[in-house]
Amino acid sequence: MAEHHWGWLIAIYLFLGGMGAGSFLIASVFELSGLRYKYDFCPTSLAGAGVSGPLILIGTVLLIFDLGAGMREPWRIPLMFLNFSSVMTWGIWILSLFLPLCFIYAALELMHVEPGILAWLRDRQKILPKLLRLVPETLPYRRLKLFVCSAGCLFAVGTAVYTGVLLAVVEAVPFWNSPVLPVLFLVSAISTGMGLSFDLAATMAVPDLHDRYGKMPIVHMSLIGLEVALLALLMILALVKGGEAMESARMILTGSQSVVFWVLVIGLGMVYPFAFHAYAYTRHKHSFVPSLLAGAGVVVAGLFVRYLVVASAIPLTL
Amino acid sequence: MNQRCKDAEAVAPSQTGEAGAPGISRRALLKAGLAGGLVAATGGGCASFSEALEKAKSEYVLILDLNKCAGCRACEEACNQRNHLPEDQSYIRILSRGDEENRWYLPVQCQHCHDTPCATVCPVDATYEHPSGVVLVNEKTCVGCKYCIVACPYGARIFDEHKGVASKCWLCLDWVLGGGEPACVQACLKEARIFGKRSDPQIAKLLASGRAQPLHPEFGTDPGVLLYIFPGT
Repeated sequence: MAEHHWGWLIAIYLFLGGMGAGSFLIASVFELSGLRYKYDFCPTSLAGAGVSGPLILIGTVLLIFDLGAGMREPWRIPLMFLNFSSVMTWGIWILSLFLPLCFIYAALELMHVEPGILAWLRDRQKILPKLLRLVPETLPYRRLKLFVCSAGCLFAVGTAVYTGVLLAVVEAVPFWNSPVLPVLFLVSAISTGMGLSFDLAATMAVPDLHDRYGKMPIVHMSLIGLEVALLALLMILALVKGGEAMESARMILTGSQSVVFWVLVIGLGMVYPFAFHAYAYTRHKHSFVPSLLAGAGVVVAGLFVRYLVVASAIPLTL
Repeated sequence: MNQRCKDAEAVAPSQTGEAGAPGISRRALLKAGLAGGLVAATGGGCASFSEALEKAKSEYVLILDLNKCAGCRACEEACNQRNHLPEDQSYIRILSRGDEENRWYLPVQCQHCHDTPCATVCPVDATYEHPSGVVLVNEKTCVGCKYCIVACPYGARIFDEHKGVASKCWLCLDWVLGGGEPACVQACLKEARIFGKRSDPQIAKLLASGRAQPLHPEFGTDPGVLLYIFPGT
């Protein structure tokens, strides 16, 4: 059975890759649209830029931990760049190119928020005098970020879509073999990125967040609505397909995974955050704990959507 | 190094990846098709196209007569011993089919497909087709990501925890190339496993009869070596 070979580690890897990509996308949208500069301090951009690299790095390390011989003999890992017929190879290329951009963006954002970092670096003359002489007094942060964010957005979308395509190409598991999966994982990635860098980070950093809401709750409600629609489409297509795909969908909807699906994914991760954002938007009111819960719900749902998809894999019957 | 590795390196060096793997691949078949199509379009040389297609077929064939299989698991046991597999793992699964009155058994192992999903998804290209048509895993490059195990529609691959690599039936290729038979064929008490070259008269006759069919051809993987005579045929 497929689920015996790919379990929690792979689900967490897909989740962290998606959320890292989503955080980068949200931060980049704030940067490129100018929202980042509307106020003195933008926690969403800082959090989004700051967490994307570490999240994707942790996910990649988990993937390596899940390897057999590749973990014991790491010199085999570079071979994973070579077979372009494999979606995993595409993913490794995308992640390898995206990861440096994430860390560059994080460094630029940090230095932009705290100019003292650059000054501190320039003061370390004794450590690397020749190298530090190259560090300028200031950097054209906005122009540099324009380039990093524009290029990074392509790789972020690529990363989120790849996590879905990795499973969607597996014809041996009919439930995975659906064009809906990459789109669902992309939308879920953006939603979890928003939950992390807006609902959680901004709520904790800015007391009067409702003054900054703008259309943000509407955007998040749309993402949640789209995610629900895609989940429904995935399930309907699986039920219509019949056979093993139908069994997988039933396992999630009414079977052994149904509590996880209805309580954690739909209830905590979609209905509650949707209701919270609707309330916050219409009443123009922000509450600290409910907002944190909404963010945490969206993030938890992102993890369990991937877990459910991986765990509900039923291979073709012979 | 266990006996299996020694055997593999002695008789089938390409399995270790040192001597390359010049098997008839889909690419070769495509090339043959394109070349053949071009020749045919120009009005001659259809024979060369047929030859190319014929070469693309596996040299060996293993036909499982399910009318004879008693589900005794002797093949599975012999395979496990030959490959030193742990008790809870096997390259051969014996599935029980039918009801109590009409019970029959379906042994499943690697079908040695021509259109191999396991090779397509492998990020390190560790799965390849030997010129004999047998699909092998290069244990020296496999990273153990398990993608091939998930992608095989026949569920024919296992994860070798000891070596950390994907593993599966390799048709005892060292014995076969030396003129022998796979362990499962030797062990079959009911002679339900018929093994040989496609050109062998008995095999050729069976193939011509159309009784031997691939398992689940609708999976689209074009099984190359294993064929089945299903109950009642």
